[in-house]
Amino acid sequence: MSKTKIDRRNFLKVLGLGTAGAAMAGCDMPSYVTSEEGAEKIYSYLAPEEYMIPGIGVWYASTCQQCPASCGVHGRVREGRVLKLEGNPDTTVNAGKICQMGQASIQAHFHPERLQNPTINGKDATWDEALALVKEKTGNAAWVTGTVSGHQRVLMDAHRQASGNGRHYAIEAVNARAWEDASATLLGDSNPNLHIDKARAVLTIGADFLGTWGNPVKSMRDYGNFRNAPRGVLMAIEPAMSMTGANADTWVAARPGSEAAVVLGIGHVLITKHGVSAAGMPSAAAAFAAMTPARVLELSGVSTAQLTKIADTLMSNSPSLILANASHAAAKAAQVLNLMLGNVGQTLTPSTALAANGLAPLTGSSKDLVEFAMDANAGKIGAAFITGTNPSFLAPKGLDMAAALSKIGFKVAIADFADETTKSCDVVLPMSSPLEAWGTHVPVNGGASGDIHIQQPLMENVYANTRGFGDILLSVGQGAGVEGLGAFEDYYGYLRTAVSALIGSDMEGDWNKALQAGKVTAATIPMAFKAGEDVALGFSEPAAAGTLSLVTSARQGLYDGRHANLPWMQEAPDQISKAVWDSWAEMHPATAAKLGVKDGDYVSINTANGAISTRVFTYKGMHPDAVNVPMGRGHTDYGTYATNGVNPLTIMDASPGDRQTTELLSSNLAVQVSPTGENRHLVRLMDVDSQHGRKLVATITADQFDRNQGGA
Amino acid sequence: MSDTKHLTIEQTKDIDENIAWAKINTDVLRSMQNPRKGYWVALAFSMCLFGVMIFAEVWQYNYGMGDALLNTSHMWDLYISTFVFWIGMSHSGTLLSAILHLVHADWRKPIYRFAEAMTTFSLMTAGLFPVIHLGRVWNFYWVMPYMSDRGIWPNFRSPLIWDAFAITAYLTSSVLFLYIGMIPDLAICRDNTTGWRKTLYTFLSLGWRGDDAQWRHFRFTYLMIACLLIPLAVSVHSIVAMDFAMAIMPGWHVTTFPPYFVAGALYSGCAAIMTLFVLLRYFFRFEEYMTMPIMDKVCKLTFVIAMVWTYLNLIEFASVWYGHDIPSKEVLMAKAFGPYSIFFWGMMVFGSVLPFTLLIRAVRHNMFAIFFVSIFLNVGMFLERWMIVTPTLSLGYHPQAFNVMWPGWVEWAMVGGSFGWFGMLFLMFVKIFPCVSMYEVKEMVYHRKRTTYADVDEMMELHSGVPGPEPKPQQTGGS
Amino acid sequence: MPSLLGNVFQSWAKYSKGNEQGGFHDYEHMYSMSIDLDKCTGCNACSTACYAENNLAWVGEEKFGARQAMNWMRVERYFDEPDVGEGSSDSLERGASFLPMMCQHCNGAPCEPVCPVAATYHTVDGLNAQIYNRCIGSRYCANNCPIRVRNFNFYDNAPTAWPAPMDQGLNPDVTVRSLGVMEKCTFCVQRIRAGNDLAKREGRKLQDGDIVTACQQTCPTSAIVFGDLLDEASEISKAWKRQQVELGKYKQDKENPEMRGYRVYEELNIDTKVLYLERVREV
Repeated sequence: MSKTKIDRRNFLKVLGLGTAGAAMAGCDMPSYVTSEEGAEKIYSYLAPEEYMIPGIGVWYASTCQQCPASCGVHGRVREGRVLKLEGNPDTTVNAGKICQMGQASIQAHFHPERLQNPTINGKDATWDEALALVKEKTGNAAWVTGTVSGHQRVLMDAHRQASGNGRHYAIEAVNARAWEDASATLLGDSNPNLHIDKARAVLTIGADFLGTWGNPVKSMRDYGNFRNAPRGVLMAIEPAMSMTGANADTWVAARPGSEAAVVLGIGHVLITKHGVSAAGMPSAAAAFAAMTPARVLELSGVSTAQLTKIADTLMSNSPSLILANASHAAAKAAQVLNLMLGNVGQTLTPSTALAANGLAPLTGSSKDLVEFAMDANAGKIGAAFITGTNPSFLAPKGLDMAAALSKIGFKVAIADFADETTKSCDVVLPMSSPLEAWGTHVPVNGGASGDIHIQQPLMENVYANTRGFGDILLSVGQGAGVEGLGAFEDYYGYLRTAVSALIGSDMEGDWNKALQAGKVTAATIPMAFKAGEDVALGFSEPAAAGTLSLVTSARQGLYDGRHANLPWMQEAPDQISKAVWDSWAEMHPATAAKLGVKDGDYVSINTANGAISTRVFTYKGMHPDAVNVPMGRGHTDYGTYATNGVNPLTIMDASPGDRQTTELLSSNLAVQVSPTGENRHLVRLMDVDSQHGRKLVATITADQFDRNQGGA
Repeated sequence: MSDTKHLTIEQTKDIDENIAWAKINTDVLRSMQNPRKGYWVALAFSMCLFGVMIFAEVWQYNYGMGDALLNTSHMWDLYISTFVFWIGMSHSGTLLSAILHLVHADWRKPIYRFAEAMTTFSLMTAGLFPVIHLGRVWNFYWVMPYMSDRGIWPNFRSPLIWDAFAITAYLTSSVLFLYIGMIPDLAICRDNTTGWRKTLYTFLSLGWRGDDAQWRHFRFTYLMIACLLIPLAVSVHSIVAMDFAMAIMPGWHVTTFPPYFVAGALYSGCAAIMTLFVLLRYFFRFEEYMTMPIMDKVCKLTFVIAMVWTYLNLIEFASVWYGHDIPSKEVLMAKAFGPYSIFFWGMMVFGSVLPFTLLIRAVRHNMFAIFFVSIFLNVGMFLERWMIVTPTLSLGYHPQAFNVMWPGWVEWAMVGGSFGWFGMLFLMFVKIFPCVSMYEVKEMVYHRKRTTYADVDEMMELHSGVPGPEPKPQQTGGS
Repeated sequence: MPSLLGNVFQSWAKYSKGNEQGGFHDYEHMYSMSIDLDKCTGCNACSTACYAENNLAWVGEEKFGARQAMNWMRVERYFDEPDVGEGSSDSLERGASFLPMMCQHCNGAPCEPVCPVAATYHTVDGLNAQIYNRCIGSRYCANNCPIRVRNFNFYDNAPTAWPAPMDQGLNPDVTVRSLGVMEKCTFCVQRIRAGNDLAKREGRKLQDGDIVTACQQTCPTSAIVFGDLLDEASEISKAWKRQQVELGKYKQDKENPEMRGYRVYEELNIDTKVLYLERVREV
C-alpha cells in the first residue's frame, strides 16, 4: 500500500479534526497505520495469549447502538463469541448500566435473518460489483440516516462534500427536537446538560426521560440519585401515561395538544401567586398573564388545584427542572420557566462542545422526514444513501413516501436487516452488527466533558460477507474520491489514526488504554449559555372537549419499531399495559364506555390518512379525550418475528404541525374511533391490574421517607 | 315392580334362602361363558378409548405437557383430579368387602366381588396418572426408594412420595385380598371348566380342597387382610388428600381434607357400585343374587355417606366464612360465582341434592332410575375433584397469576382413555373370574335358612341333590 | 447406632437453636437481595438481562398467552389508586406500582418439602436450588409457590428460541433446560460460584461486590442490591439492619414502623429473602 502525499489540512479534516483541531493534533504529521499493522491477529489456541483461558470470559469495551444514546458497554467474550453486554463502568454517560434494548443487542447480533450478502436489484452480488455501481451512481447523493456522530459522521460529511453536496437528512421518529430548538433559542445551547440528580423537583411535559427521551440510561442513573434522601419530587403532564409518568408523584392528564397551554398556566400561577419575576421577557410575561387557570381547564382539562399544586411544588422544591418535548410551544414555555425559576445554571448547565466538531452528533427529527419526502417528491434528490432509519415505516401515508422513494433515481441501503425501506432500494449493502465493527460515537446529552465512545469488534463476523459500517463508509468515500482516504485499508486503520490524532498520541499503549476504557476524552471548547431573550410564547388549541385525539407514544423496548425483529423485545412486556407481541389502543375506561367497547374489543381508528384497527386496553392513566396506540409494531417487511400489530405512524397527520417548522405533530387531532365488532384477548403478562389487597407494592409518604432517610 | 303393596318374597328378602347351591354355581359360571356380540363391542370400544389415551401419552411424551394447556398458574389440572377420582372409586370394594364384613352385614356378599374387582382396577387406573402427569415420565421410578449409585433417596417429606407408598401398599393389599378371597371360587371354576380355563384356575386355586383346616386358615386370613385393608384405605385417601392439605394454597390448606376425601371416596365408590350393580344384574341376569332389597340397602348406605360428605363440604365452607383468610374466601366466592361456577353448582346439585332421590322408594326400586342417578352422582364427584384442583390454582395468592384455564384435547383424551382402560380390565375380569362370590352367597343362603327353619334336615331337603345329614357350607358341583 | 442417634440429636439441637437465633448461623453465606421500589422505574432491563444471562427461552405470543412463558424475572405493574393521601379515583394521579418479582429464595420455602425427588432444596448458602437433572416434573413445587415464580418447561423451546446462529449467544455457564423440568431464578448461581472461586483463587474471603447478579448489574437506577447477609460489612446486610427486618419472623417488630423495608407474603411464614423497600409518593 503506497503512502500517497496528501494535503495535511484535508487529511486532518478527513480524520474529523477539522480546522480547529489542527492545532491539537500534535507537532508533527501523525503516522498512519499500515494494513499489516492494522490487520487483526488470529490467535491459535495452541499458544493463546495469557489472558485467554477457556471457560473464563474476557471483557472488551464497546458502544451500544440500539438507540441514539450510544451508551458504553462491556461485552463478555468467551471462546471467540460475545455472550452478554453489561454497561461500561468507565463511561460517564451510563456508568456500568444499560437498558433492555442494549441487552437485546446479542439477539440482534446472532440473528438468523440478518442481511448476509450485497444485493443489486434484489439479486446477490459481490462487494466489488455493488461498490462499483454505488460509485457510479451516487454523484450528488443525499444521506438519509438516523442520529449520527463520531467518525462515521465525518466520513459521511466528507463524502457529501466530495460528491456534489447532497443534503444530510437525519430522521428520528423519537426525537427531542422541540426541546433542542427551544434550548437553542433561549439558552443558545441545543442540548444542555441536565442534572436530574441535583434537582429537588422535576416536571416533565411529554419528555419521557426515563424511557425514550434523551439518554434514558443516564437519566435513570440520575433518577436513582434523585430519589435518595432528601427525595426529589417528579411530576408529569401528558395525555397518556409514559414510563416516566408512571413513576411520578403527581401525574396529570392533559388533553392531547394542550400541553403548551398547561405550561403557560403554570407560569401564570408562578407569577401571580408566587411572584416569580419574568423581568426582561415582556412578551413571555404577557403570554403567561393571558393563560388563566380557567382557560387552562377549558383547553386541557387540568384543574386549577392540579395547576396550583405543580406551581407550588416547583416553588418549594428548588432547584427544579422542567423538561418538555410535547411541542415546540410547550418546550419554549418550559425553558422560559426554567430561566425564571433560576434553574438555568443549577440543573441546566451548558454542554461541552468538542473541538473536533465534525464528530458532534447530528440529532434526528421528524422535520427531516417531512423534508426528505417533500424534496424527493419534488424530484430534487437524484440519489440517496439510506442507513439507520426506516422512512417507509415511519412516514405517515400523507407524505407519499413510497412515491418519494420511487422518484429517487438510485438508492443505496446500508443495513443489517431487510426492512420496508431496503426493499425499495437498488443496492443493499449488508452491514455488520455493531458488535462486530469499529466506530466512534459521541453521546448526545452525554453530560461528560468531551467523551467519545469507541465501538470495537467483540468477535469475528457472524456472517462472513458483511462489512462494518465504517468500512463501508470508507469504501464509498474512497470511491467518491475523498482525499486522504486512500491511505487506509480498512476502518480500523482509519480510526486508529484518527483517534490517535485526537488524543495527540499514536503510542500503542495509549491506544490500548483507550480501547480498555471504551472511550477517549478529547479537547473541548467551553460553552456558555447566552443571555435570556424575550420570546413570544404561543400555544395551539387542541381539539374540542369530547373529541378523541390519537397520540402515539414510543416505549422503551421496541422504540420506534426498530427492535420489532427481536423476540426478546417483542416478549418484553410493555411497561404500562404489560402487553406482548401485538398492538393495542389505550383509552380511559370512561372513553371506552362511551364508545360501547371493553378490553379486547377491536376498534377502527380513522384519520384523514387512513385507518388502523386494533384492540382496546383500558386504564385510568389516560386523558379521556386521548387514544394512544404505541408505535413500534405493524411492520410489513421486517422478518418473521415482526408480523403482528398495526402501525399508528401511517395514519398520523402528515401536514406540517406546529406551524413553525415542518415537525410532525406528536398527536393527531380529532380522530374517529368506532368498534368493529371483533374481540380477542390481548396477551399480557398479567390479566389483573390491582393488588387485590395483598401487600405487594406498598407505598409510604415522602415526608415519612425523608424523616427516616430510608434508602438501601 | 313399583307396586309396593303386593311384594313377593323376592322383593322383601335380600335373597331367597331356598336357592339351591348348585344353582348358584351354574348361574355364576354361566356368566363366564363365551360372550355375546355386545360384549365384544363393549370391549373393543374400551380398547379404542384406551388407544386414544396411548396416543395422547405418546404425543405428550414427545412434545411436552404444553398441549395439555397446563401453564404457570395451573400446574395441575384434570390429571390430578382424575387421579383422585379413581382413587376415590377404589374405596367401594374396601367398604363392601372389609368394613361391611366386620359389621357382619351379609347382604354385601353377592355384590362385594365385583366391587373388590372395581377397587383393584380403579387403583390400577389411578396409578397411571401420577406417571402421566410427570414432565419427565421416563424417570418416574425415582420416587421409589432404591439403592442408587449416588446415594440419593426420594424426599420423604413430600406427600407425593407418601402417595407412592400408600397406593403401592393399597394396590398390593387389594390385589391380594381380591385374589385370596377368590380362591374357593376359583376352585369351583376349576372343577367345572375345561381347557385353558381349567389350567388357569388350577394354577390360581392353589390346590384348594375345601377341607376344614383350609377353611379355618382361610377365614382367619381373610379377616386379617380385611382388618389391614380398612386403615390402608382410609390412609390412602387421606394421603391423597394431603397432596392438597399439605400445600399452602388457599382452598387446599384445609384440615378437614383427609376425612372429606375419604367420605367423598366412599360416596363415589358406592355410586359406582350402584352403576355396576345395575349393569351386571341386567347383562348376566343376576336378579336372584343382586336383588332389589340389596340395592335398596346400597342406596340407603349411599345416601348416608352422601350426607356425611355434604356435611363435611358445608363445614369447609363454614370455616372459610368464619375465618379471616381472605384468599380462601376469594377462592370460595370464585368457585360459586366465577368462571367455573356452573361446575360448582353442578357438583352441589349432583352431590348433595340428587342423593335425596334415593329416599324415594320408587327410585330405589327402579333399576333404570338407579343407573342414571348413580352416573350423575359420580359426575358430581368428578366435578368435586375438579373443583378442588382448578379454582384454587386459578386464583391462588398472587394477582399476577390469576388465570382461567380450560382443559384441552390431550387431557380429555387421557381422562376418557382411563375409563377405557378401566372398562377393558373390568370386562376382561367378568369373563375370566366369577363376579359374584359363589361360596359367600352359599354362606348367606345357609345362614338365612338357618334363621328361618329350625330343622336343619328340613332345610336340607329343600336343597336338591344334597346328601348327608351335616352338609358342609361349601359344595362343589351338584346334579 | 449410637452415632446415628447422636447425629440426629445433634442436628436437631443445631436446627432449633439456630432457628431461635434468627436461623442458620452455621451457614457460611446467606445470599439475599433488596429492591427499592421507589427507584425502580419499571423499565424491564432486569428481565431482559436475565433472559440473556440465564439462557431463557422466549416462547412467542401463543404460548405467552397460554401462560407458558419462561420469564424468571418479571416486572409486574399494579394500578391501585390512590394508595396514599387523597386523590381522584378516576385518574392515576400517583402513577403505577412496579414490582420486580422473581424467586425469593425463601428460607421457609414451601416448594422444598413437596418435591417427591428432592430436586429442590435449600443450599448452605441460603439459595433455593433447583437441580434440573433430578427433576421429574411433578410440578408440586410450582403449585406450592404462593408467588408463582417457578416456570415449567412445557415444551422443548430450544429449537424456536435459539435458531442458528442465535444459539451461539447462549451462556455456556448455564444449562439449557430440557423438556419437562422446572426452572426459576437462581440468584445467578453461576456468578455466585464464579465469585466464590475467584475469592478462593486469590486466597481471600468473599467481599461485597465480588458477586453481582445480572439484574443488579444492569438496573439503571441501582434499585437492586445483592449480597451476603452474613457479611456484616456488605451493603445488603446493612440494608436489612437499617430497615429493621429480620429473617425467621413472620411478623416484624420494628422499632420504627415507618422504615419502609418489608417482605411479600410474610404472613405465610415462608421467610423470603428479598427485602422490598416501599415505594414513596409525595402527597
